[in-house]
Amino acid sequence: MLNIDNLEKPAQSSSVRADRLAWGGLTRLILMGLSLGACCWLASAAETKKSEGPPVPKLKKNNLAPLASGEKAVASHAPFEGGDCSICHQSKEVQNPGPLTAPVNEQCLGCHEEFTGIMARKSSHGAAQASCVNCHNPHNAKLPKLLVEEVGTLCLSCHESIKTLVTQSKVKHGAIDTEGKCLNCHNPHAANVEHLLVRLPFDLCINCHGKDGVKDGEGKPLTNFKTLLAENPEHHGPVSSKDCSACHNPHGSDHFRLLSLDYPSQFYSPYDPKLYALCFDCHEATMLTTPETTTLTQFRDGKRNLHYLHVNKADRGRTCRACHEVHAAKQPHQIRDAVPYGSKGWLLKINYSPTPTGGSCAKTCHATRSYNNSAVAEPASKK
Amino acid sequence: MKASFSLLVAGSLLCVTAAWAFARAPIGGVIENVELTALDGSKCPLLSNATANVFVFFKPGQEHSRTTMIHLATCEKEMAAQSVRWVAIVSDRFPKAEVEAAVKETGIAMPVLIDAGDALYGKLGVVLSPVLGIADQDHKLVAYEYFTKVNFTEVVRARIRFLLKEINGQELERVLNPPAATPSVDADVARRRLKLGEQLFQKKSYEKALENVNKSIEKDATVADAYALKGQIFAVQGNKDAARGAFAEALKLDPANATALEGMKASGK
Repeated sequence: MLNIDNLEKPAQSSSVRADRLAWGGLTRLILMGLSLGACCWLASAAETKKSEGPPVPKLKKNNLAPLASGEKAVASHAPFEGGDCSICHQSKEVQNPGPLTAPVNEQCLGCHEEFTGIMARKSSHGAAQASCVNCHNPHNAKLPKLLVEEVGTLCLSCHESIKTLVTQSKVKHGAIDTEGKCLNCHNPHAANVEHLLVRLPFDLCINCHGKDGVKDGEGKPLTNFKTLLAENPEHHGPVSSKDCSACHNPHGSDHFRLLSLDYPSQFYSPYDPKLYALCFDCHEATMLTTPETTTLTQFRDGKRNLHYLHVNKADRGRTCRACHEVHAAKQPHQIRDAVPYGSKGWLLKINYSPTPTGGSCAKTCHATRSYNNSAVAEPASKK
Repeated sequence: MKASFSLLVAGSLLCVTAAWAFARAPIGGVIENVELTALDGSKCPLLSNATANVFVFFKPGQEHSRTTMIHLATCEKEMAAQSVRWVAIVSDRFPKAEVEAAVKETGIAMPVLIDAGDALYGKLGVVLSPVLGIADQDHKLVAYEYFTKVNFTEVVRARIRFLLKEINGQELERVLNPPAATPSVDADVARRRLKLGEQLFQKKSYEKALENVNKSIEKDATVADAYALKGQIFAVQGNKDAARGAFAEALKLDPANATALEGMKASGK
C-alpha cells in the first residue's frame, strides 16, 4: 500500500495544495508513459499465455496528477504531503519536481521494502509487477490506500470477463459486494495461492460460511460448514482439498448455489447426463449408463450396476444427492443418513451398513437389500 | 517439537489423502506393476524403478483433463533430469485419434497407456478423471491427487520433490497449507516511516526526519535502527543528551547496533 500510514492524513497541506495546478507536466508524461509501457508488457504476456489459464487483461492508463485544488483527499502519500518531492523526483521544487530519480517500482520499494518479499510470492499480480501506479496514485487520492478508483471498479475495469460474470450472472455472490469486495478473497499484490487468493478457497469461504445465520439472496439460511464438517468426518474430495471452486463459481453463476455447471435442483429428476454435468466434470458418466460392469463402480451386486439401477430412470430418477451428501457425511462415500420424504420434511432413514465387499440399505425406500461386489471384481482386474 | 511437527505433517497428508480417489488402492499399499499397451503399440509397464512413479488417469475431451495434462507437461519438462517416471492412462473407450489429438494439444511427452476394458481403472477403483497417483521405487502408493482448480501443479510438484528428498516435510506442508497473504501490519508501516526518515535525514531535513522516525516508533517500538536514527538526528541538531538517550534505547534492543555504538562513542560515552 503506497499510503504510508493508510488513512493517517486525510487532508491536504495548504502549501502543497497551492501548487497542484502547476504540477510538472514532464513528470506526468513520464508516469503515463510507464503506465502505457505496462500495457504493452501485459499485452505481450497475454499472447504467450493465450493457450492456458485466464485471459490476461489489458491495463488502462491512469491520471496520476495530484487532485485539483478544492478536491478533498482521503489519502495522501507522506512525502507528497510533506512537500518532500525530492524523495522521488529529481528536484525539490514543488512547482516543477522534474523526472523521477528511479523507475516507479524501484522508487516505491525503496520505502515499502516489505513488498520485495511480498512480490516474490508464488502468485503475483501482473499489474503490480509492471507498475504500482497502475492502481495507486503516488500523490493523493479520494480513496483509501491512494487507489485511483474504488476497489470493485478498479479491478473489473481490467478483468472484463469477471465483470461480465459478476454483472450478468443470475446467482450473485454476496462476498463480491461486501466490505472489501474483491479484496475479501484476493490479495491485489501477491499471494501464496494461485489466482492471488489470500488463503486456500475453503479457508476463505469458511470466514462467512462457517457461521450460523448466513442467508442467501432469497433469505434462505445457508449451511454452517464448520459445524457440518466437524460432525461429518467423510468429506467430498474437493472439500478435503479445500477447493470449493471445484464445484462453485465464486464470482457468479446461472446455476443455483453458484454451481459452476448443471446439477438438478430437484430431488427426483429424470436421468439426463446434461443435468449431471457438474458431477461428470470429475466422475465417470459411464458409471451411470452401463447396466453391467466390474470396473466402473463398487456399488454393484456382482456385475449388476446399482448406480445405473437407481439413477437411470425416465420418471423418478434419483439425483446424486438422493443417496450422497455433497459436502460431508458420517458414512463412507458420503452416503447420507436419511432422505427427505413427502411435503412435511420427514426424514426417511437409509440405514446403510458398509461391509468389506459391499453393504446394505435397510427398511428404507425399499425393503432391506444388500450387495456384494467382490465375486467378479478380481477376475476383471487380473486381465 | 520435531515429533509434534512430524505428526502435523502426517496429519495433513492423511487429511488430503483420506478422501476417496483410488477406492481399491490404499496409501501405503503396493501397486501391482501391470503391463499395458502404449499408444504407439509397444508394451509398457505401469511403473519403473525410478524414485518417483507418477501415473495419471485422464479423459480426452474433458476440460479438467486438458488443463491438468497441460500443467503436467510443464512439470514433466522441469523434472526431466530427475528420477521421475511419468505415464498417462486412458480408457480404450476413446478412439485412438481422439487420444492422439489430446496428447498433441497438451504437449505431454510421457507414454500414454491404453487401459483395455478399464481393467486398471477397476483394479485400483478409480472413479475420477483426472486423478494422479505417485508411487515410490518400491511401487508403494505414497499419494494421490484429484483435480483441483487451485494450486494443483504446485501440490503435485511438491509431493514429487518430497519423495525425491529435495524438500523436507516442513516445506511440503507450506505448499499443502500455504500461509495466508495477509495485508500489511504495523511493523511494515513502521519500517516505511523509518525508511522515509532515513531519506529525509540524508537530505538534511532533520525535523521531518524526526517526525517520521517518531511515527515509526509509535507503530513498532522494537526496532533498534529507529532509535539509532533518532539519536543521529538529535546529534546533528546538537542535542547531545537526547541523542545519548536514543542511542541507549537502540543498544537496549540491539547491543551490537553499529550506528548506536558509534553515536554513543561520538557523543562522549
